[in-house]
Amino acid sequence: MAEILRGRARSRQGLFREWIRTRTPANSWPALVGLAVFVAMLGLQQLIEPGTQRLLTSVFLFVALAQAWNIIGGYTGYASFGQVAFFGLGAYTVAVLMNSYHVSFWAALPVAVVVGVVFAVAIGVPLLRLRGHYFAIATLGAAEGAREVINNLTSVTGGGGGITIPTFGTDAPTPYFGKPGFYLAFLVLAAVSVALATVLARSRFGYSMVAVHEDEDAAGAIGINTTVVKVVAFGVSAAIVACAGAFYAFQQIEFYPTDVFDASFTVLMVIMVVIGGSGSVGGPLVGAVGLQLLSQFLRVNLGSFNQLIFGAIIVLVVVFFPQGVVIYVRDAWRTRHFSVLDNVRRYRL
Amino acid sequence: MLEVRHLAKRFGGLWALRDVSFSVSEGEILGVIGPNGAGKSTLVNLITGHARPTTGQVLIAGQDVTGRRPWVIAHDRVARTFQIVKPFRGLTVRENVAIGAMHGNERDGSVRDALATADELLELVGIAKHAHAAPTQLSVADARRLELAKALASRPRLLLIDEVMAGLRHHEIESAVELIHRLRDSGITIVAVEHVMKAIVSVSDRILVLHHGSILALGSPREVLSDPRVVEAYLGHRYVNRRSE
Repeated sequence: MAEILRGRARSRQGLFREWIRTRTPANSWPALVGLAVFVAMLGLQQLIEPGTQRLLTSVFLFVALAQAWNIIGGYTGYASFGQVAFFGLGAYTVAVLMNSYHVSFWAALPVAVVVGVVFAVAIGVPLLRLRGHYFAIATLGAAEGAREVINNLTSVTGGGGGITIPTFGTDAPTPYFGKPGFYLAFLVLAAVSVALATVLARSRFGYSMVAVHEDEDAAGAIGINTTVVKVVAFGVSAAIVACAGAFYAFQQIEFYPTDVFDASFTVLMVIMVVIGGSGSVGGPLVGAVGLQLLSQFLRVNLGSFNQLIFGAIIVLVVVFFPQGVVIYVRDAWRTRHFSVLDNVRRYRL
Repeated sequence: MLEVRHLAKRFGGLWALRDVSFSVSEGEILGVIGPNGAGKSTLVNLITGHARPTTGQVLIAGQDVTGRRPWVIAHDRVARTFQIVKPFRGLTVRENVAIGAMHGNERDGSVRDALATADELLELVGIAKHAHAAPTQLSVADARRLELAKALASRPRLLLIDEVMAGLRHHEIESAVELIHRLRDSGITIVAVEHVMKAIVSVSDRILVLHHGSILALGSPREVLSDPRVVEAYLGHRYVNRRSE
């Protein structure tokens, strides 16, 4: 008994070493499936037409964004409605550096990530004291504020007139990637964010995020520094989003503050995570892929009514699978209980 | 191990605690009793940093920790349970305990080690068979055992238990009392807040009685139980009068 009450190995291990060490054949399949999908997507690129390539590129973008939102909104339980601020700041950092200072994209990218993280920490320290609706509204306000600052810093950002990244000739700090290049870039970004979320979820930090989500008093009582957990989760989320914003900016070449600070980016992240299943790695993945493909399918096949049908489908999914599709399937599979009606009853108050 | 000096806490116009001073030596079990609203849970909250005292000091192993954040105090190897159980609902019972073993001063080096520790602790408190259940599926008694296992997972030297025995059946109380004695024998100093008089008398070395936020009595179980003021606070003065007649 006395032995239980002392710590085991005192050595502290990094995330990846711990993850590698705890692999067994039974728990390695998600990693193997993920790798297989990644390779398949690389191969698929050779077979598809440019239109499909563009669609998949946007799917990859939203996979990364949804995974990022899930870290703070899903695992940690702080529903941020200001994530687009990091997207816009990442985009503008890259654009300004490439346009005005002739910095290469690869040098500007880490700066964009740092800017996103610094902003997240700066607003996170005061705002993460708020909970629920208050946090949601405060982050929404912070994002609107960030857009207005960019909008009014005309001398640096070009203001409402937009900004253009030089991409051709000797003016270009980095040659344009083109469609195949951005397909690859966003595929890697999506893969990295899924891998990061997977490793994070089963780490000490991952458990800390869930503990903070469930009960901050209880988390504090067992020694979790809840402030640090919240701010770090917010920062990691912001890093991914800012990185995505940086690639997005380069892909767009020319854009306005209203494009990259568009609150509908945030809303889509939230919807994708909620529909897929928050607090799981599969949820945002399925939500992002499913919703992007569905929305494209409806646009092509339904004409002017596509948005109406799209909205109706979202409402129906939320009503029937309030916990998210992935979590429903996982629980139903475990308990061998597939009744959708029972599911609705279980989650209704 | 624990010293409390002139501790007071005011909520608006109400003094939940007033000038409370006592100390607990290493390896001792101090029982804290008192009627509803006497300030028992407030006392625990002030010691573990879940509330800040209005005035007064809390010293742990001679160090002033007054007003520190809960996790700072937890890292000083102080653990607690909550009167209203606070399980992490989205996780299994086993994972709930493992989180405790992942943090604090004596933490396990990896998630896997923490899960192994959790298995041992679930065995110790007697809910090993529910390891993979959701905490919401546990009975009241088992949920309180889970609270205790979570607290033990952070390897405390000082353990504050807030009504772990409330709602337990007779034979369950006996095994809980035995468990608390075993914990003390392994070197943990314990402050046990309880409502169940019978349980606290058999578990404690000394008993502190709180009434309206102040100390009414402090002494051995026998002294405290024979103190007429304690009897009056608990059973009302009519009972005292009748007994003295």
